[in-house]
Amino acid sequence: MASVVSLQPRAKEDFTSYLGMMITLGAWGVMFAGLFFIYAGVRLAAPTWPPPGVPKLPVLVPTLATLVLAASSVTAQRALTSIRTAKRDQMRTWLGATIFLGALFLGIQYTIWSSVHDGGLTMDSGTYGSVFFTLTYFHAVHVAAGVLALVVLLVRASRYTVHQHGAVRHCTMFWHFVGLVWLATFVTVFLI
Amino acid sequence: MSEQHIHPEPTSFWRKYVFSVDHKVIAQQFIWLGLSFLLIGGMMAMMIRWQLANPGQPFPVIGRFLLPATHGVVSPMMYTALFTNHGTIMIFFAVTPIMIGGFGNYCIPLGIGARDMVFPTLNMLSFWAMVVATVILVASFFVPMGGAAAGWTAYPTLSTQMGTPGGGQTLLVLSLFIAGSSSIMGAVNYITTVIRLRAPGMTYMKMPLTVWGLWLTAVLNALFVPVLASGLILLFFDRTFGTKFFITGAMIKGGGDPLLFQHLFWIFGHPEVYILIMPVWGVISDVLPFFARKPAYGYKVTVYALIAVCVLSAVVYGHHMYTTSMSPLLGESFMVLTMIISVPAMVLFLNWLRTIWRGSIRTTVPMLFALGVVFVFGLGGLTGLYLADIPQDLYLHDTYFVVGHFHLTMAAAVFLGSFCSIYFWFPKIWGRMFNERLGKLHFWCSIIPITLVFCGMLLIGYSGMQRRLYNLESYEYAKRLLPMNQFVSVMAFTLFLGQVFFVSNFVYSVFRGRKASENPWELGTLEWQISSPPPHHNFDVIPTVIHGPHEFNNPEVLKKLGKDWLGQAEVIPGAEAVHEPAEIAQAGE
Repeated sequence: MASVVSLQPRAKEDFTSYLGMMITLGAWGVMFAGLFFIYAGVRLAAPTWPPPGVPKLPVLVPTLATLVLAASSVTAQRALTSIRTAKRDQMRTWLGATIFLGALFLGIQYTIWSSVHDGGLTMDSGTYGSVFFTLTYFHAVHVAAGVLALVVLLVRASRYTVHQHGAVRHCTMFWHFVGLVWLATFVTVFLI
Repeated sequence: MSEQHIHPEPTSFWRKYVFSVDHKVIAQQFIWLGLSFLLIGGMMAMMIRWQLANPGQPFPVIGRFLLPATHGVVSPMMYTALFTNHGTIMIFFAVTPIMIGGFGNYCIPLGIGARDMVFPTLNMLSFWAMVVATVILVASFFVPMGGAAAGWTAYPTLSTQMGTPGGGQTLLVLSLFIAGSSSIMGAVNYITTVIRLRAPGMTYMKMPLTVWGLWLTAVLNALFVPVLASGLILLFFDRTFGTKFFITGAMIKGGGDPLLFQHLFWIFGHPEVYILIMPVWGVISDVLPFFARKPAYGYKVTVYALIAVCVLSAVVYGHHMYTTSMSPLLGESFMVLTMIISVPAMVLFLNWLRTIWRGSIRTTVPMLFALGVVFVFGLGGLTGLYLADIPQDLYLHDTYFVVGHFHLTMAAAVFLGSFCSIYFWFPKIWGRMFNERLGKLHFWCSIIPITLVFCGMLLIGYSGMQRRLYNLESYEYAKRLLPMNQFVSVMAFTLFLGQVFFVSNFVYSVFRGRKASENPWELGTLEWQISSPPPHHNFDVIPTVIHGPHEFNNPEVLKKLGKDWLGQAEVIPGAEAVHEPAEIAQAGE
């Protein structure tokens, strides 16, 4: 009983920063929604999609990338639950795994971009290229920022405790957000 | 409710005045920034009005220093750059910093009984992001091919590299992106602070309407500025990396559609105008009761009306695009919704009138400005109905009628509302009183010219004069409107010169005004119960709120305390515990 009472005041402070982060991610999501809105506008107005003459996009490698990012969300969440149960070393391990998978995702993205480039699609080759590269580059920038944040977390891991780990929670929330945006990108750009 | 510890005051100069995390300091920084750009934007307007009234004449006195290449004459290219930057500066770098950055920061924590915002460092970053944005904007004026010149609306194809080549427009896009991020940071702070840091007993329906207005503004900011951000990113990519989102497919194989930018822009742009007016709506809804010594009529209805405007603002944006040959069904839907959104605005207006009706009016300077806002907003709002109506708008689109309309509702109302706020909170922020007579002179030298300028524009526009024209004498149909334009320009110059009464009053009183008491206006809201200026930590003890913000002329208070106002946390002597502890505890959640 005593432990429940002592947790109460801390839980309320946690909610404040959680709320702030949710609103921030909401705003960020609206920005990505704007980009997808333009994609829809451009695609619906085009007589055919893909337009004639553009190389076919790969499906297998991006699917692999999706699985990698999904796995990284799992590891990121595991890192968060580790610190919540006071297992800092375990948090370090899971953070390392997430960073590795994030970097792997970026590497896979690079191979996708290279192969598409070789196929003749560039940023300035019409709306198809514009949409493809804008969405994937923009998303990749966010992945890179997320990886950087996770590295900072890992370096500063010793300062996080059961009671003070807001940064870990926020970075994990951001990481999940980045994963969700990829899911939307993957489905709308590569699949359908 | 999280505990709000009292942090020690910073001691170093940099931490105290430059990189402060104190919301009161950040608010003042925003206000000074905003007022500076109000001056710059105003100067640009004077140059525009000069050119319209005296085509081809060099701008007097400082013309040859500002425009050496043409010996002081505003060239067509310069004219385009002027109206573009006038609009951009006024919206993003004058009004937004003053009302949202400045008064949002100042009034929210004090109004809800908090010590500061929930994220003070984010608050500081929000100000400095705005500063970076202004630096980039000013830099855009000095690049080789000149600054942005595609209208504040930056429509492609004009705003692409084909229409406006060079770095100026690109820098403007970047500047707006950063300014937008500053707004979003602020919005996150304001929304979370109002949800989490209201004092015990401060239910949502006991908050001052100023806080309601600013909070809903923040909600709109968080929802819609990111849409602008996405549009700006795509425009930036089109300009810099050769993407084809907005370069039409008719010109380039596999091209996109310039119209798509208009959609993104106005999905942001229409809520933006409500973002700009809502702080003023909130302030006026408080100031009118304060100086009529009556509770606000229909407080709850006003709150619901503000919320209704927020919700509806998302679905009316098409009224900026009636002339883009959209399907009639879509157009008519937008028309109906636009007419519906006028209803809650009308409700607000009527509540204001009913508030002052048979009130005990104190004609202080803030009250005069508040009444001025009611007047110009009423006029401007009515003209909006003309523009909402498609058949009328097909004729009035892109004429000076539109310019008159949005300046009345957005510029005049917010201009007067900003001064209302400055005069109203002047004693609290700077701990001094301003000169009453100069303030009233400032009011009359503002309200008369401003009404004549923009009502004049309504007439000019209705007569058919297009927007953004450089020289009226070039067009047969517009030549006859030159005398009217000259009248409008003279009124505009009068308005600009009249501001000297404000500047002199403001600068003098900030440093040498008579010291203010803690509650010179005799009001009940929480910020007026502490010293002027407040201590660093705002409240020695976080108050427990019992009453609403407009407890005026309560008979029991008159009898027992001999005053016509009651503090929100003030207990009437001899009153039993009117509110059960459970209500206060639950209300504080």
